[in-house]
Amino acid sequence: MTALRRHRKLTAIWASEPGWKGWTSSVNHSDLGRMFLVTAFFFFLVGGILAMLIRAQLATPHSAFVDAGAFAQFFTMHGTIMMFLFAIPTFEGLAIYLLPKMLGTRDLAFPRLTAYGYWCYAFGGSMLLIALVLGIAPDGGWFMYPPLTGPLHSPGINTDFWLIGITFVEISAICAAVELTVSILKYRAPGMSLDKMPIFAWYALVTALMILTGFPPLILGSVLLEVERAFGWPFFQADLGGDSLLWQHLFWLFGHPEVYIIFLPAAGVISTIIPVMARTTLLGYGWIVASAVALAFLSFGLWVHHMFTTGIPLMGLAFFSAASTLVAVPTGVQVFAWIGTLWKGRPELHLPMLHILGFFFTFVIGGLTGVMVAVVPFDWQTHDTAFITAHLHYVLFGGFVFPILAGIYYWLPLFTGRKRFFRLGEMAFGLIFVGFHGTFLAMHWVGLMGQRRRIETYDAETGWGVINLISSISSFVMAIGLAMVLVDVLIHAFVAVRGGRNPWKAGTLEWASMSPPPAYNFASLPHVVSRDPFHADPGLPNRLAKGEGYLGGPKANRRETLTVDIATGRPDFMVIYPGNTRLPIVMAAVTGLFFLSILLKLFWLTPLALAGVAALALVWVWRLGAQVDAGPQDAGRGAILPLAGETTKSPGWWGSVFLLAANGTFFGSLLFGYAFLWTVAPGWPPAEWLTPSLAELGIGIAAALSAALAMRFAIRSNCRSARPMTALVAAFGATVIAILTFAMLLSRVPPPDGHAYAATLCVLCAYALAHALLVSLMLSFVIARVLRGYTSAARAAELHIVSLWTDYLAVITILSLLAAHLPGMLA
Amino acid sequence: MGVTCSLLIGCSGALSVVDPAGPAARTISTLWWVMLAGAAAILGMVLVLLGAAFRAKEIGDADETAGIKVWIVGLGLVFSMSVLAALTVYGLHVGHRLMPRAGADVVAVSAEARQWNWRFAYDNRPGHTTDGVLHIPAGRPVDVAITSLDVVHSFWVPRLAGKLDAIPGHVNTLRIEADMPGSYQGLSAEYNGPGYRMHVFTVKAHDAEAWDAFVSGAEQ
Amino acid sequence: MRDILRLLLPPLVWLASFSAIYGLHGVGCALRWPEISHQEVSLFRFALLSAWFAAILMQVALLFALHRDRFKAGSAFMQWTSLATGWVGLVAVLWTLYPVAVITACGAYG
Repeated sequence: MTALRRHRKLTAIWASEPGWKGWTSSVNHSDLGRMFLVTAFFFFLVGGILAMLIRAQLATPHSAFVDAGAFAQFFTMHGTIMMFLFAIPTFEGLAIYLLPKMLGTRDLAFPRLTAYGYWCYAFGGSMLLIALVLGIAPDGGWFMYPPLTGPLHSPGINTDFWLIGITFVEISAICAAVELTVSILKYRAPGMSLDKMPIFAWYALVTALMILTGFPPLILGSVLLEVERAFGWPFFQADLGGDSLLWQHLFWLFGHPEVYIIFLPAAGVISTIIPVMARTTLLGYGWIVASAVALAFLSFGLWVHHMFTTGIPLMGLAFFSAASTLVAVPTGVQVFAWIGTLWKGRPELHLPMLHILGFFFTFVIGGLTGVMVAVVPFDWQTHDTAFITAHLHYVLFGGFVFPILAGIYYWLPLFTGRKRFFRLGEMAFGLIFVGFHGTFLAMHWVGLMGQRRRIETYDAETGWGVINLISSISSFVMAIGLAMVLVDVLIHAFVAVRGGRNPWKAGTLEWASMSPPPAYNFASLPHVVSRDPFHADPGLPNRLAKGEGYLGGPKANRRETLTVDIATGRPDFMVIYPGNTRLPIVMAAVTGLFFLSILLKLFWLTPLALAGVAALALVWVWRLGAQVDAGPQDAGRGAILPLAGETTKSPGWWGSVFLLAANGTFFGSLLFGYAFLWTVAPGWPPAEWLTPSLAELGIGIAAALSAALAMRFAIRSNCRSARPMTALVAAFGATVIAILTFAMLLSRVPPPDGHAYAATLCVLCAYALAHALLVSLMLSFVIARVLRGYTSAARAAELHIVSLWTDYLAVITILSLLAAHLPGMLA
Repeated sequence: MGVTCSLLIGCSGALSVVDPAGPAARTISTLWWVMLAGAAAILGMVLVLLGAAFRAKEIGDADETAGIKVWIVGLGLVFSMSVLAALTVYGLHVGHRLMPRAGADVVAVSAEARQWNWRFAYDNRPGHTTDGVLHIPAGRPVDVAITSLDVVHSFWVPRLAGKLDAIPGHVNTLRIEADMPGSYQGLSAEYNGPGYRMHVFTVKAHDAEAWDAFVSGAEQ
Repeated sequence: MRDILRLLLPPLVWLASFSAIYGLHGVGCALRWPEISHQEVSLFRFALLSAWFAAILMQVALLFALHRDRFKAGSAFMQWTSLATGWVGLVAVLWTLYPVAVITACGAYG
């Protein structure tokens, strides 16, 4: 087969539908990565326009451009859009687009999930956009502190848009995180052991793991606040045993890691670009990996530094102050490693490098002011002033926007296959750089002079007028620069001349694909022996195109790739992907219906929407699998591999593991909230505890444990080629008993609108009940699959996946039943 | 440092953190100048190192081990950890000094915030409250017990001390002190709804005589 | 997966002990434990210090375990990186929790 015939055959198998229809049915990572990026930059534009409005209002004292109410919507939406609808989705888009190419494979682990995540993001973001257009946007500040955002002080629908829209968008972040984690760990070119991974993949892996553990506390907080607003359950009301500080803890448990979730991918871009621009290799690869891991963990121990003024005793603050200075060490290691890399090589001042220099200057200042506000007494003065606004923009613009602009200009030739010919980008960089520092450098000073953030205007006597005017004018200079980047990119994408492959002479695999890359990325998969495979073998692209790698012989209508052992990179099993489908967009729409029903208080619709999601999910999984054993497959180059469905640890198993990690963090945050209210909130103990019942406790725990045990028996008997029906039915029965136990428990809890104790307990029980229902649904599914012949001794993957969920159910059942009954027993 | 300050852009202002009028604000102001000097030095160093990377140079056999020793171990670990350790200890020391402690001359008052008003009460004059104006004696430490009736607010008198939040259901205590008699502007410093900007108050520091008059109720 | 877990374990243990000691401190201050003392020694301070030493010991034990053949990583790279994060765990536990030894537990009005 010639390279051209192979290309045609693979394109026929992998291509999306032509035209706009393709957007709705594509599950291809390149399509969806681009859609993520375009949508994210659309939101960057919206957030930027809001910033312009804010600066226009603050340019002069006593400005009457907008009133306090509109101004509150502007600053709330500016922060919300930039954080949730621009920064995180930009990372997702970049990682979704690039990673399979960098890792030398053909797509991500769960293509339909990529699409579902994108549509959740698009629909959730649209909800917020509609609120903005209608003038009913959230207005409590992007961190939404109750009681200001509670039902008593913000009765309008504004806050609900935030809580519901953002939770909807976060589904996409969790989907992307699960997807990226599994993809980086398993979906790599053979031979690519962990130490040969491109550094960007390490950063993306760490970031994805952080999203899995960082976002659940915020999702929980949003759920609790929305329940308080909709049904009056007083989680955050001090007079009914709640505490507004609980929100602050949950929010910043997410909010601080969020900063590093934004910075780390950018650091990955920097670590990728600097060695290429300096014609050398990255200094201290291992050190950088260890620093990224250290940064990720330390960032989870910083959340209270956003709460230094809430009256927490000094020793508590001291822990977080110390952790906040310590986190600067791995950051410093990376910054110096990058400078050392530049020293090691011979850096060239191409456009991406200019933005990297912009990053260095800006981010180092942001880091230094960050260390300052980590010092508790200084934060007491600067907290909630313009100094903080300035600091956070230095960190986020320096640590994210500059690197991303560098990344865009670096990978643009790959995206488009074209060559830049105007020098617009250099001029744009100059305007952005000067404009940015003009806007924010002086803002530090005006903060020290006492200007609070979020005030809509100020008096002339304050003396802040000149600084604010400089700031506002500079911000418009920066805006012009960013607009020029947009024009530059559009020109590049549509009218520039064709360019050659690999213009920067980089060594990573994405450049060994075509520019722009075809839908299947690689005609055959490389065998990787070094960290820069393209440098090691400059003839690689041709050899891959000729089918000399793995999976070089396309089979009729099968989208094939293979996975590897995590540590060593030995080929593990072969994967056949599902093709184009509109299932993801439909499922995202029905998910949206669920969120809309809560937003508009159409509660009759809620169960219907949920049932719709469940039904679609069943269709989703039913379409996978086979009714006959396919046996070992020839993957080329002598690798004989089983199919994913004929292994015990299939992609679905790995996905479940990481989804459960996120889920477990959610549950852990809920238990934390319960313990926090109990010990810190005023108005405890409540008037009445739940009457403890040893019988209920015993039956519930026994049922959940039996289900987990029965699932193990099912796997064992399936292994012996027996149909595991008895054990599966037993597991199902035990799960039904668990459902009944929690339903019973829920009916006995004191009224949840009377005290935060009962409200929290209700949420805990509802969480466990929902999981028991979910597991019963999964068991029914597996029983149906067994009856239809979708399982065999070899095709056992689904049993192993369900077993993970029954185990998880057992753990949460025991913990939530103990949490429900113990307080009453102890009292 | 006052000289640098006036040369640059001017530090004085009714709400200026760097124009302190009490011991707590002064300590923090000093902390700021020390940190600014340190930060400027570090920024200068990083920029010089960065610029020097672009000088024309021979690339020999790039020695990874030596590079790691200098850049990562030397600058990344040893240098940053020593600077940060010193700063952490200094910062906590300052924080410790600013904590409210029992003492014979301490005056206790309380501040109750709501949208959008501050009401102050005085242990030395039970039953008396003032709205929007807090009376304190000059030259004596004052402990303000801060709480809120509705949403989260924050009590902040920039020239006297740092801020502390007013949180419903909790009482937080902040130590403030004014060196001299006079008026000091106070602010609510946590966004609390449309009246946020105008949610301000005044601290009136009295000399001993005027304070005695206030406490005895004779000043009206 | 074991390689990834080995890499993440020491900082994870740090995070757990950090949160646990912060929680212990919060609970202690809320329940006014500093007022309980035995022969001039505050039991609360003693509890905090013991928890800190236990956390340090755990990190040291992890570092030792990483040197043992049984727990070593498959490749030199992963072994080196695991040791690096092992040291991160130890330094973090010393650095972030040293306030238990030097700061007043809850303040005069705790």
